[in-house]
Amino acid sequence: MASRGRGWLAIVAVVAVGVALTLLVQERYHHRVLTLVFLWAAMGLAWNIISGYAGQISFGHQVFFGIGAYVTVLLVVKAGLTPWIGMGVAVAVAVLAAVLIGMPTFRLAGIYFGLATLAYPLIFRIVMDWLGYQEVAIPMKREQPGWFMQFNEPRSFDLLALGVLAATLVLSRVIETSRLGYRLRAIKENEQAAEAMGVDSFRCKMAAYMLSAAPAAVVGAVYIHAILFIVTPEAVFGLLVISQTLVVCLVGGSGTLWGPLVGAALMVPVSEILDTTVGDRLPGIQGVVYGAALMLIMLGAPEGLYWRVRHAFRARGGGEATRLAIVAPPAEDGAAAVPTETVLLEVRGVSKAFIGLQALSDISFDVREREILGVIGPNGAGKTTLFNVLNGFLVPDRGEVRFLGQAVTGLRPSALCRRGIGRTFQVPRTFQHLTVLENVMVGAFVRVGPVHVAASTARSALAKVGLADRADALPTGLTTLDLRLMELARCLATAPRLVLLDEPLAGLSGDGVAVMISVIRGVRTRGVTVVIIEHTMQALLRLADRLIVLDQGRRLAAGAPGQVTQDPAVIEAYLGKRWLARMAAR
Amino acid sequence: MRPLSRTLIVVLTLALATPALFIRPAPAAEDVKIALVAPLSGRWARQGQLKKMGAEMAIEEINSQGGIKALGGAKIVLREADAGDSVEKAVSAAQRVLTREKISAGIGSWLSSFTLGVTEVAERLQVPWLSLSYADSITERGFRYTFQTSPVSSLQAEQALDLVTDLARKNNRPIKKAGIVGDNTAASMFFYKPLREKLLAAKGIELVVDDVWTPPLADATAIVQKLRSGQPDIVFYGATNFPDSIQVLQKIKEFGVKSPIQGVGAWLVTPEYVKAVGKEVLDNIQTVVAAHPMKGQEELVKKFKQRTGEPFMTQDPLCTYAHVWLIKEAIEQAKSADPKAIRDALAKIDISSGPAVSAFYPSRVKFDERGRRVGATPLIVQWQDGEPFTVVPTAVATRPIVWHK
Amino acid sequence: MVLAELVQYVATGLLVGGVYALMSIGLALIFGVMRVVNFAQGDFMMLGMYLTYFYAMSGSVDPLLGAILTIPPFFALGWAVHRGLLARVTGGGDPQRQMDAQLILTLGLSLVITNATTMILSPTPLGIRTAYATQAFALGPVLLNQARSYAFAMALLLAAAVYVFLTRTDLGKALRASADDPEAASYQGIDVRAMHGLAFGTGIALVAAAGGLLATYYPIEPTVAGNFIVLMFVAVVLGGLGSIPGAFVGGLVIGLVQSLTLLVLPFQLQNTGVFIVFLLVLYLRPQGLFGRRARTV
Repeated sequence: MASRGRGWLAIVAVVAVGVALTLLVQERYHHRVLTLVFLWAAMGLAWNIISGYAGQISFGHQVFFGIGAYVTVLLVVKAGLTPWIGMGVAVAVAVLAAVLIGMPTFRLAGIYFGLATLAYPLIFRIVMDWLGYQEVAIPMKREQPGWFMQFNEPRSFDLLALGVLAATLVLSRVIETSRLGYRLRAIKENEQAAEAMGVDSFRCKMAAYMLSAAPAAVVGAVYIHAILFIVTPEAVFGLLVISQTLVVCLVGGSGTLWGPLVGAALMVPVSEILDTTVGDRLPGIQGVVYGAALMLIMLGAPEGLYWRVRHAFRARGGGEATRLAIVAPPAEDGAAAVPTETVLLEVRGVSKAFIGLQALSDISFDVREREILGVIGPNGAGKTTLFNVLNGFLVPDRGEVRFLGQAVTGLRPSALCRRGIGRTFQVPRTFQHLTVLENVMVGAFVRVGPVHVAASTARSALAKVGLADRADALPTGLTTLDLRLMELARCLATAPRLVLLDEPLAGLSGDGVAVMISVIRGVRTRGVTVVIIEHTMQALLRLADRLIVLDQGRRLAAGAPGQVTQDPAVIEAYLGKRWLARMAAR
Repeated sequence: MRPLSRTLIVVLTLALATPALFIRPAPAAEDVKIALVAPLSGRWARQGQLKKMGAEMAIEEINSQGGIKALGGAKIVLREADAGDSVEKAVSAAQRVLTREKISAGIGSWLSSFTLGVTEVAERLQVPWLSLSYADSITERGFRYTFQTSPVSSLQAEQALDLVTDLARKNNRPIKKAGIVGDNTAASMFFYKPLREKLLAAKGIELVVDDVWTPPLADATAIVQKLRSGQPDIVFYGATNFPDSIQVLQKIKEFGVKSPIQGVGAWLVTPEYVKAVGKEVLDNIQTVVAAHPMKGQEELVKKFKQRTGEPFMTQDPLCTYAHVWLIKEAIEQAKSADPKAIRDALAKIDISSGPAVSAFYPSRVKFDERGRRVGATPLIVQWQDGEPFTVVPTAVATRPIVWHK
Repeated sequence: MVLAELVQYVATGLLVGGVYALMSIGLALIFGVMRVVNFAQGDFMMLGMYLTYFYAMSGSVDPLLGAILTIPPFFALGWAVHRGLLARVTGGGDPQRQMDAQLILTLGLSLVITNATTMILSPTPLGIRTAYATQAFALGPVLLNQARSYAFAMALLLAAAVYVFLTRTDLGKALRASADDPEAASYQGIDVRAMHGLAFGTGIALVAAAGGLLATYYPIEPTVAGNFIVLMFVAVVLGGLGSIPGAFVGGLVIGLVQSLTLLVLPFQLQNTGVFIVFLLVLYLRPQGLFGRRARTV
């Protein structure tokens, strides 16, 4: 992604501009606007961590803002505790709240998550009213104003807000360039694929949520001390806060540091100017402008202004690299290409039913180390369902799966990936907005922590499939073959003992099939066991050591290819007599 | 190259925004400027507009009578700022108006949370501020620049209870059971608290209904049902949110609840109520307020009605009118338009006549160390024939009270 | 707790719930067919209230009839909003992003409508004075407010009409087909985009009518949407996002929950009962009472 050094330099530049503005601006009221720009940018960045990076759009982030405000102020009122320390307590409470809210809520997908987040600030509003905290004013501390964050000089508040912004920028940058950042982006792009690549999506989302709650609480605390002076449930848990946050992030662009900065620098002054100039003649003009801004952005540039401008720059910039011919990886034959007798995976009596359909019935088989096991059968036989069970996406109703001698039935996909089971998908599930290298790095992160190590692991995985030269391309520019090779490389980067390949040859031309077969053989030669679903019988016959035939959820036959293809039941259910005749004629 | 273009974008945007920050206001004249921060738009716009009307009437009178003598006939100019419908807007409005020009004193802001926020700004900027808000919290912060002319809610509770128990006894319907029904806005809560905690018990009155809700109210049936079955001899009613209040009053009529209603605040005295529920529903409902036109103020009321076309004059314009006159008196005594000097003058002031005390009962303005008006006593206003009249104390009543069936 | 009082609580809850139910059907229809959560639903309801008020003031039209008369203009409005705005949001091609973008669009629309109304119309709450707003039918000791009873009956009628439309007419079936499987529907020759417009228009018309019915007993102001939008969401989720009968039942249940919460919680916490039910449904049975697909990760 970004070259690390220059990213940090850019942050320093922004802070420098902030300081310069603080010094240049004269009028007290203008200082207020500047403070607001910094604070809302920071709030936007906080929201961005969970909703931009991780893609979990939250409509209730103001709950942390409000907690920050209330806890800090109540500690001043009740315990005379300085807000400098009180903020720390508020952050702890907010992070705890994030855990308590996240635990049940992250089990919900998509829009349900967003709707659920609506409820929490509303509950807090009602509870705060009920507890008697309708209007909590900050007691004035004339003796030690600085100690209680009650500055006379407006520049002090500007700098305080700028400090909060700088800290949040740093936090965002650290996340962006860390393992967590890559994982969050993977989750946002395709959560299931991320899980299959060993990303425990629940824990990652929870980490992101906690990290996004902390700065929000700080912003809330500072906001009260610098801007509002009193806390009401409506002011801190209400619609205004989340609308402001959404506008800042969506207009500017989410999923990036710079979006909220652009959004805040643009929208906050605009709204304040409107309020000052026409606010009394046209009450609610701010709401109209914000609403219109959201609508226009969604119609014209849904990704946000920052991304729109950046893509414009990029499009004019580098041209597309010319398409090089795919180089088949070096084939390594020899002793390593022979299956052993060790049983890697045991499947015993697995059954799975959906409403009105028995997808799998009492499936049992073994997979031996280093073998290439083919799974065939007519459409609807249950092949992909079987993979979904082996991979952890589905829990079987009955039966057991053992891997390396240990029971693994019911473990989530990320756990299975970490144990050594990898997977590719029938339709390639790529992380669209990540480069090929970054896609593969997500897989590498299962085994390694530091980003540069993951990068080199990814590169060697790409080399193994012959895609080294496409490392910086985006998946949208790749052919089907390249996409499948990338998916395979990503899977290999997780250092699996066994890989489940779901129709890797689908949609490939003759040449592509040959390349893929050779790559798969290379995978086995390097010691990885392969279980492969395929429809293309000729290819599978060349590739597989053994075959399993499924039909209507049952195991029909198992054994060497030559044997299985002669089995009359198999011919009846799947191959057909004509196929047999054609094979015989060859 | 990329991070650099990113920085460029950000810097450009910040740079584009900054010129906006340098917009300067026009330079001010020699007049004395008084700020009014009140809701002039949004859901409480009516109340704010009424305050403005009161202020404008006072300013016109003062200016036409020669302005401020101590400053050589300097005229008063009103600087209004819209508090909108949120604390944010109110505080922002206060910040703006108090920093743009030299403001000598300010008035506002109707809703107690707005007033709390606005006075925080005024205190920091050292500009004296007059408020008619009832909440006790307004003058419990140790501020030096905030002056509260209304009797505080807790005091109102005590005095109102005394008044009604007296009246009830005199009319042979002593109060044995009471009800509290209303929302949990701050001013109302400050009223209920002493009632619940000691006042009712001290008089041997049983609290049979105690239902306080968070606005908005979904349905008034459950509450009014309790009134129907509990049958209190008096109901202390604090539904400041208009839509909630309408629902409750209509439901009371529908269920045929006969208990006398004792409102808690001036929100119950607006012409909109007549339009919304009609005279019959309102008849004989009374409410305790800080100010209402008293006996002897007919001229003032007539003038107000002519100027504005309003059907009657209420607390908001009346108090604001008096506040402007009060500031004028303070400036005369301080012989200066400097906010600090005015503050000192207000702290020492003690007057009992003139338009500056017109809104207050008893007719004396003197503030204690906290900024509360000494001896402040509430009035009781009652709806009769679709218009609210001061009924208690009888000395200043414009109509006799109609005690209930 | 006396039985009569309990019955009163239940009756009140159902009457209130009936109008919630009508509000929610529109939301469910829109989500069911278009997969869009319309944040502006409450604002269209508010506009419906104002139009009903206008009918009452200028033409002395009883609001119960006025509510029905809001249906044609609001259907047209909904159709236009869909054509002009929602249909143009593509979110860059990705269906998930498109849903998110349309959702944000409706949020923006909600802000615009509420604030523009505040700007243009007076913020003072208005009320339509009808005789039956302050009268009640007495069924023994139980009092049923007349306005709410009429509103409840009208809501039932309208909901039934929608149900018949969806299940018995060809157009209704086409609509349901587009909801179930847009791709297959388009192969059948159904203009899916027009179906979306139809669904949105109908959804808006229904909620405007609900607003008209609400105006028989509830004051009208620009910010009224905020009081109901979350209740609508809860009702729809409770019933199962996308299920029309579910949304209806959900609305009734929410009314009941609001009312019965008062038996266990203090008044001030009345709406927390609703939110707690909301969260419980999302955690325990996210597909709601009538929904089909489970939506957990």
